[in-house]
Amino acid sequence: MKLARMGAALAIAAIVVGACSSSATTAPSAAAPASAAAPANIAVKIGIELPLSGGEKPNGEPTLNGVKLALSQIQVPGFTVTLNVQDDAVNGVHDPQQGAKNIQTLVNDATVMGVVGPFNSSVAKAEIPIGNAAGLVQCSPANTNISLTKPEFGALDLRKTKPDELAYVRVATTDDIQGAAGADIAYTIAKARKAFVIDDTETYGKALSDQFVATFVKLGGTVIDGASHGVPKSGQGDFTSLLSLAKAQNPDFIFFGGVTATGGGLLRKQMVTAGMAAIPMGGGDGLSDGAASVSGSFLNLAGDQGDPNTYMTVAATHDIPNPEKLKADYKAMFGVDPGAYSASGYACAQVILEAIKNVGGDRAKVRAYVTDPSHSYDTVLGKFSFDKNGDTTQRIISDYTFDPGTKDWKFVSQKDFGAA
Amino acid sequence: MRRRPGRGLLIPAVLLLVATLDWRYIGTEQFVNALTIGAVYALIALGYTMVYGIIELINFAHGDVFMVGSFVTYWLLSSLGFRGTISDLPLLLVVVVGTFLAAMVVMGTVGVVIERFAYRPLRNAPRLAPLITAIGVSFILQNIIQIFFGPSPVSAAQVIDVQARVDLGGVDVSVVKLFVIAVAFILMIALQTFVSRTRMGRAMRSTAIDRDAAQLMGVDINTTIAVTFFLGSALAGAAGVVQILYLGTTNFQLGFQAGLKAFTSAVLGGIGNITGAALGGFLIGFIEVNSTVAGLGRWSEAIVFGILVLVLVFRPTGLLGQQLGERA
Amino acid sequence: MSARRLQGGRAPLRLLPSTLRRVGEGFADRHQSLAVLVGVALVGAFLPIVVGVPPFSGFGNQNDFLDGFANAGVFVLLALGLNVVVGLAGLLDLGYAAFFAIGSYAYAYGASPFSHLAVPFWPMLVVGALVAATFGILLGAPTLRLRGDYLAIVTLGFGEIVPVVFTNSDTYTNGTNGIAGIYQPSLHGLFGIGSFGFGNPWPYYVTVLLVVAVAMMLLYRLQDSRLGRAWVAIREDEVAAASMGVNTVTTKLLAFAIGASTAGLAGVFNASKLSIVSPDQFGFTVSFTVLAMVVLGGMGNIWGVAIGAFTLYEIQSVFLKQLTNFVQALHLPVLDLGFLRLDISAIDFVQYQFLLYGLALVAMMLLRPEGLFPSRQRKRELHESEEEAVESNEGLVQA
Repeated sequence: MKLARMGAALAIAAIVVGACSSSATTAPSAAAPASAAAPANIAVKIGIELPLSGGEKPNGEPTLNGVKLALSQIQVPGFTVTLNVQDDAVNGVHDPQQGAKNIQTLVNDATVMGVVGPFNSSVAKAEIPIGNAAGLVQCSPANTNISLTKPEFGALDLRKTKPDELAYVRVATTDDIQGAAGADIAYTIAKARKAFVIDDTETYGKALSDQFVATFVKLGGTVIDGASHGVPKSGQGDFTSLLSLAKAQNPDFIFFGGVTATGGGLLRKQMVTAGMAAIPMGGGDGLSDGAASVSGSFLNLAGDQGDPNTYMTVAATHDIPNPEKLKADYKAMFGVDPGAYSASGYACAQVILEAIKNVGGDRAKVRAYVTDPSHSYDTVLGKFSFDKNGDTTQRIISDYTFDPGTKDWKFVSQKDFGAA
Repeated sequence: MRRRPGRGLLIPAVLLLVATLDWRYIGTEQFVNALTIGAVYALIALGYTMVYGIIELINFAHGDVFMVGSFVTYWLLSSLGFRGTISDLPLLLVVVVGTFLAAMVVMGTVGVVIERFAYRPLRNAPRLAPLITAIGVSFILQNIIQIFFGPSPVSAAQVIDVQARVDLGGVDVSVVKLFVIAVAFILMIALQTFVSRTRMGRAMRSTAIDRDAAQLMGVDINTTIAVTFFLGSALAGAAGVVQILYLGTTNFQLGFQAGLKAFTSAVLGGIGNITGAALGGFLIGFIEVNSTVAGLGRWSEAIVFGILVLVLVFRPTGLLGQQLGERA
Repeated sequence: MSARRLQGGRAPLRLLPSTLRRVGEGFADRHQSLAVLVGVALVGAFLPIVVGVPPFSGFGNQNDFLDGFANAGVFVLLALGLNVVVGLAGLLDLGYAAFFAIGSYAYAYGASPFSHLAVPFWPMLVVGALVAATFGILLGAPTLRLRGDYLAIVTLGFGEIVPVVFTNSDTYTNGTNGIAGIYQPSLHGLFGIGSFGFGNPWPYYVTVLLVVAVAMMLLYRLQDSRLGRAWVAIREDEVAAASMGVNTVTTKLLAFAIGASTAGLAGVFNASKLSIVSPDQFGFTVSFTVLAMVVLGGMGNIWGVAIGAFTLYEIQSVFLKQLTNFVQALHLPVLDLGFLRLDISAIDFVQYQFLLYGLALVAMMLLRPEGLFPSRQRKRELHESEEEAVESNEGLVQA
């Protein structure tokens, strides 16, 4: 009998929750301006698949806001565009399985024309096959792993359901270029000849470090122990013994392949404790998460030790055509400065909106339009198009260094690695 | 408690020999690193070993007590407005001692509260129940901290100058590391003295040997167990302070891994044995550092847990065997 | 004897009115396996219908739900296996996710471009289960002499070691990148529900129902067999069981093996559905979630654990999100107590699901350790000490 009572209670609870939430289910989707829709306007959606909660919030939220800003500024005649937002962070960490579920949800929502996301390469691996099979195009603002698009690195396995119908593009350039750029900075700007390389044993970090090693050696430098040193995947960010190991071999550059969450900021901090403050440290866009005033960012965790000896690359152009306007508009709408990928999110939204404008509210046509290499886009990131694998033709890496005055990243230079 | 003198000296002698050989292999700086990491594990392991010795419970939440201790320290230091190194020595002394006292008292109290509400009702329940409860408490603690402090790691003020170094036989060693090692030793010796010389210590030992007999002899079991939890959690709190002073950062997931390794230390040394826990902690520190030096950094966790499994299978009483109580 | 023995398995029947229940129980007593099949079939038919009805229809569309149910089925399989180890045999296994990983990687190794092998899905199910069972024996063997707590820690250790091995073995497992492009099952036109693929949840849904049904039938058979009784004997008192002639070694090893085999099944199924495996899918949170499902569902009770796992999974993936929306829509005022600012509308329940799990586990252990759907036997075991106390008090009063 207890069971029946429990069952009844559960049923009543479900009905109550359902009654109240069926009106609220539109809450996460509504983001666009409440334009007085003319009766002829077709309602379409852009899907969002980003990590939005927990430790991933500083990554996903600014990107989402970039998309929201785009929607508020760009009108597509004849359409009302809103968002269908999905979060792939489980317990604060991006989860490929959750990402797969989310993409499936977006696929099942017939009004979703295209998706902005995902943010993490490991999640993309789970999502690309699904998007490919369903013919729903994804534009990633931040994925950099080479195996997602390049056939020679296994990308064809991901799109084997429909190998001729690409459904994934990205506006960030790839880690083979980014790792190489990092090595370039180390060799030419920091004038280093002996590097000690560390990675966080994650997909992104390890790939970046491996590319750094290959390029640094090719440029003529030496990598201590010949390869990247890994720290345990779920480690606590204790690099002391690794740093002592490095110190004994007198490196003149430390490269970290990884993100802040897996220990980037702590590494810099501990370099000081180990007496290595004078040695420059470099990393990729995993360290690009805001100024020292942003809690939990690399610069924040590195403490006052983020001195001019810290370098960082971002797999996107810095010289965007109108940075001041973007910053002002973003700040007006959200009250804070844009994040590292806000412009990328904005650009992805622009790509999808452009497609809707040209072919209408048809998912298959939008996919075909976006993945057509002959189409080019004039976005906040500048002009670019996508190649036949979905990679952006804008192969620019921007270098940054720490500015002790503003306690933020300062742009140094950017390098265009040319057409593929 | 029977101890054979010959046996008792053999293991420390072997360990001393191994330690010296290792020192030649990894160098002074890494040796000090190992002692420092080991000191933290030892402090946490003591709590595990005492609680297990007295009520045969693996307190899963203990690692998270350490983590909460580090957040208490972080909160204290940032609320008091400290942003970096304190160069004024008397002030530094006051701040450091004060922080230790505060963190230890707070975490000790937290430990007592957890015991009172989550473990005591289950004292006579089948083994599975308090174990599962402990896991539940562990997740609760993690999430409470996540709610208050957010999910990202936080950067704390390292009030002791981390760049200060001192010359130790020709090698530059960091002052902070020596401080950590010294603090750990002081606390361990204090604990050992308490357990072996005071009345409450005797009560703890007798409860560990035979709870009913102790009760018949007039020992207040509830108070004794509460004191055990207080001391163990206070030491974990001290480890939390060390985490902030030495590494300058903490995050809500710190407790799980640290707890597992500390438990490995306790088991390695002999669960229920205070000296064993300390020894185990340092051993695990050495194992980790040696893995890194040997180029097996990615495997260090697997190595530590592999050792845990091997010890439990082949020598469950650990290196130094039982001390707090007799267990078959 | 027979009525009591079968009590635990009749959890779903208790929801029916009494006449139907008597008929159902009578049927179930005589044809246990058929009853399981019928039960699973009924649930399987009922679920797709109920999600079309408000309030559930407001949460998502049918395809979404079915996809979720297929994923829930994975956890049901995991919970069934852990139930054998923890619930029946009383061996606290905290590293159960390791077997899930082994099953997943076994299939990934057998059917992906990475390994250039393409073994079909259905035989791989069996292979995966066998491989996992073998590892169950391998990882269980060292724990035979250990008592409850030590056993838990060793299994926890294994649970941590296995993902590390997978992460760092680049040649065999593609390391931290995981294996992608795993081949999906191919059985075209499966009775009109379409072929396996990313867009179509029906084949996966039906497959998981089948696998769950088969697993449950086998487990019920085992539970009522000599082995099953040996497991319960070991759980209650190992020494007494040994002295009554129970071979504790084989009994425990079989518990691990059988328990691991369903994790192997779950792993193969999950890998084929998701089409990727990656070492970070198998951490302690997974082991903990499955343990929570077993404990909350009712340790030792096969149907109870299945229902518990399903319910918890749905709560986690559907209801918590809806709860967040619901609370947001209430627009509760912000509590400002000076030092503490509590904005209930801003709480994302999905983010704090593990807090809720932790609270639920602690509350369960303190109040109802036998779980939501206990087997009568287990309930008596756990409340034994209370009953004794009551009896002795009564005795005193009367005297």
